[in-house]
Amino acid sequence: MNDFMNFVILGLTRGSMYALIALGYTLVYGVLQLINFAHSEVFMSGAFGSYLVIQSVVTDGSSPPWFAVVGIIVLGLGSGAITGAAVAWSLERVAYRPLRRRGAPKLAFLISAIGASFFLSQLAGKLFNRLNNNSFPTYFNLNKHVIDIGGVTVSLVQLIIIVSALLMMLFLDLLVSKTKLGRSIRGVAEDAPTAALMGIDIDKTISRTFVIGGALGGAAGFLFGTAFFFSNTMGFIPSVKAFAAAVLGGIGNIRGAMLGGLLLGMIEAIVPTFPWYKPGFIGTAWTDVVAFVVLVLVLIVRPSGILGERLGRAA
Amino acid sequence: MRTRPLAKVAVLGVVGALALAGCGNSDTKDTGGGLKSGSGGNSSSQTYTIGFEGPLSGDNAQLGINEVNGVQLAIDQANKAGDLGFTLKLLKSDDVGDPSKAPAAEALIAQDASVMGVVGPSFSGATEAVGQKYGAAGISMVNPSASNGTIQTLGFPTWHRIFPNDYAEGPAAADWLAKKAKKVIVVSDLSAYGDGVAKAVIAELKKDKIPVISQGADATNTKDYGPIAQTVTQSGADALFYAGYDAQGAQFAKALVASGFKGLRMSGNGVKSSVFTDGAKAAGEGWYFSCGCQDATVAPSATQFTADYTAEFNTPPSTYSPEAFDATNILINAIKAAKAAGSVTRATVNDQVNKTDFQGITAHITFGADGDIPPGSGTVNLFQDKNGKIVSLGDITKQN
Repeated sequence: MNDFMNFVILGLTRGSMYALIALGYTLVYGVLQLINFAHSEVFMSGAFGSYLVIQSVVTDGSSPPWFAVVGIIVLGLGSGAITGAAVAWSLERVAYRPLRRRGAPKLAFLISAIGASFFLSQLAGKLFNRLNNNSFPTYFNLNKHVIDIGGVTVSLVQLIIIVSALLMMLFLDLLVSKTKLGRSIRGVAEDAPTAALMGIDIDKTISRTFVIGGALGGAAGFLFGTAFFFSNTMGFIPSVKAFAAAVLGGIGNIRGAMLGGLLLGMIEAIVPTFPWYKPGFIGTAWTDVVAFVVLVLVLIVRPSGILGERLGRAA
Repeated sequence: MRTRPLAKVAVLGVVGALALAGCGNSDTKDTGGGLKSGSGGNSSSQTYTIGFEGPLSGDNAQLGINEVNGVQLAIDQANKAGDLGFTLKLLKSDDVGDPSKAPAAEALIAQDASVMGVVGPSFSGATEAVGQKYGAAGISMVNPSASNGTIQTLGFPTWHRIFPNDYAEGPAAADWLAKKAKKVIVVSDLSAYGDGVAKAVIAELKKDKIPVISQGADATNTKDYGPIAQTVTQSGADALFYAGYDAQGAQFAKALVASGFKGLRMSGNGVKSSVFTDGAKAAGEGWYFSCGCQDATVAPSATQFTADYTAEFNTPPSTYSPEAFDATNILINAIKAAKAAGSVTRATVNDQVNKTDFQGITAHITFGADGDIPPGSGTVNLFQDKNGKIVSLGDITKQN
């Protein structure tokens, strides 16, 4: 049981990051009914952007007092979010808006997004490096056990990731359900032409939706980089998973993306605890197989995802 | 949705690559045909060239630079000695370590008729891509670093390798582990290299009657090593062997520390690099590595080499520099022997390389019929990460 709980916590950590990225997909899908395939690079840029800030304020191996650590983490989340938001905003301007103005078919958006994705990934490779395991400076003991109940342990970095992701999701939920901006996002998602007649500036709303999704993705980039590593190609795999998580929860549905992300992360992490688990037979190498089998099964029963496609129409 | 267009692009790419490879093959045959006139022109001139193919730019450039410096040093020393009766030149060809760029790098070397042999390619993938072409051009290959255990079976006519391959290294590592551990978990990154090493290690451990657990953690899509590390910790194994490369090894090392694994941690030559020590930092402390290579900074037979290398390049020799130095000297000796026997052509040089019986700084080197050193010869050394530096502990079979 303890073993199982340890895997669940690993899954929650991974899932929180999936959820943050998945929100970017689902928000854009909500307003545009399009999958923003360049979102993986928004996530990646967040890691690089926050790295530049973090490494300029703290040296590797130093051990600042706890309040400074909290400050640095907030700074990292903030700078990651700002970078992500800036990249997402430019992406909308360059890869989406011109096509939207000209009424291009949906496929054209996909292609321009994939193009932008390659461009951004290679640009980061060119500007920084192409190593596949850059890491952030170490300024606190990531593995310190902050919670230890009978062998079930939560390390500091896991706690930071889970708590900050939950706070951001809560903030987004309030933003969308309570504010004027949230209302206009929901309006555009439900029926864009009518929303326009009601005086909502569609361009501005779409742009802001990209910015919000980008900020969450960028912050996830910082968390991912802190926990694991970062590189110019880091975005692809987590983003494919996050996209799957968004579909699992119901694409276009904000709470669905959160749920889908957490769920997918957990399913992946608990593969080694299955009763039929035999190392060498269904080992950890089968993680993706199990995760995607679950995805397919859920979609067979509920084609629109667990919570349904609340915000959008079918693509 | 995304996979579909991507898959199509990938299929197109593969088809294109195959078509290109096909063209490349026929080109090389042409060069092979034109070889005779080329080598005829050579024998009158007294300059022979030794080619080097390896990564001189890109991610893995450091490895290529380590090697090409070793080649340069051997050539400079031979020229300086003044008893050659001919002049040696170095031709560097950059393949970025990438199999798809290797054919162009090979062509650059093969079209120079004064090239009598090549050191390289540095990487196994690149070697597999061009081994047949070097063979068709008649250029003797003496390889200092491509460790894949199946290259010698591919029938490359001019293949030689001066160090034990992965299938020799894996069992040596396993035998050492068997002395240390009661239960071993082997994690493979499922790459061509990692899979080969993992299989060799597992087979030998079973022979040694040590219980083995085998696990896979795909290097291309595992980004979070938490669950696999947790699995290792809870498996009850008191030793881990990771069969994979350095960058992922570093991430795995960090995750193992996070999950509290206390057992022995070991890996092969793929992880033994500064990419691992820099990436894992404190988490890499104590990792062991097996490698069919020498630590030039400590090996007694290499002290002169280390001093000369440091004097010429202002940096101490690193991974595979001594091997490249030996490989070059084997080629130089073969050219000398061919000259003494009457004619220096690519074919006579290759014949002389086949007959090599050479005491180098890394080992005493002879070649078997398949171009590898005979089974059982060659030394696999044990290394350890101590305070972020990789330290040689010496011959693995002599360690307890």
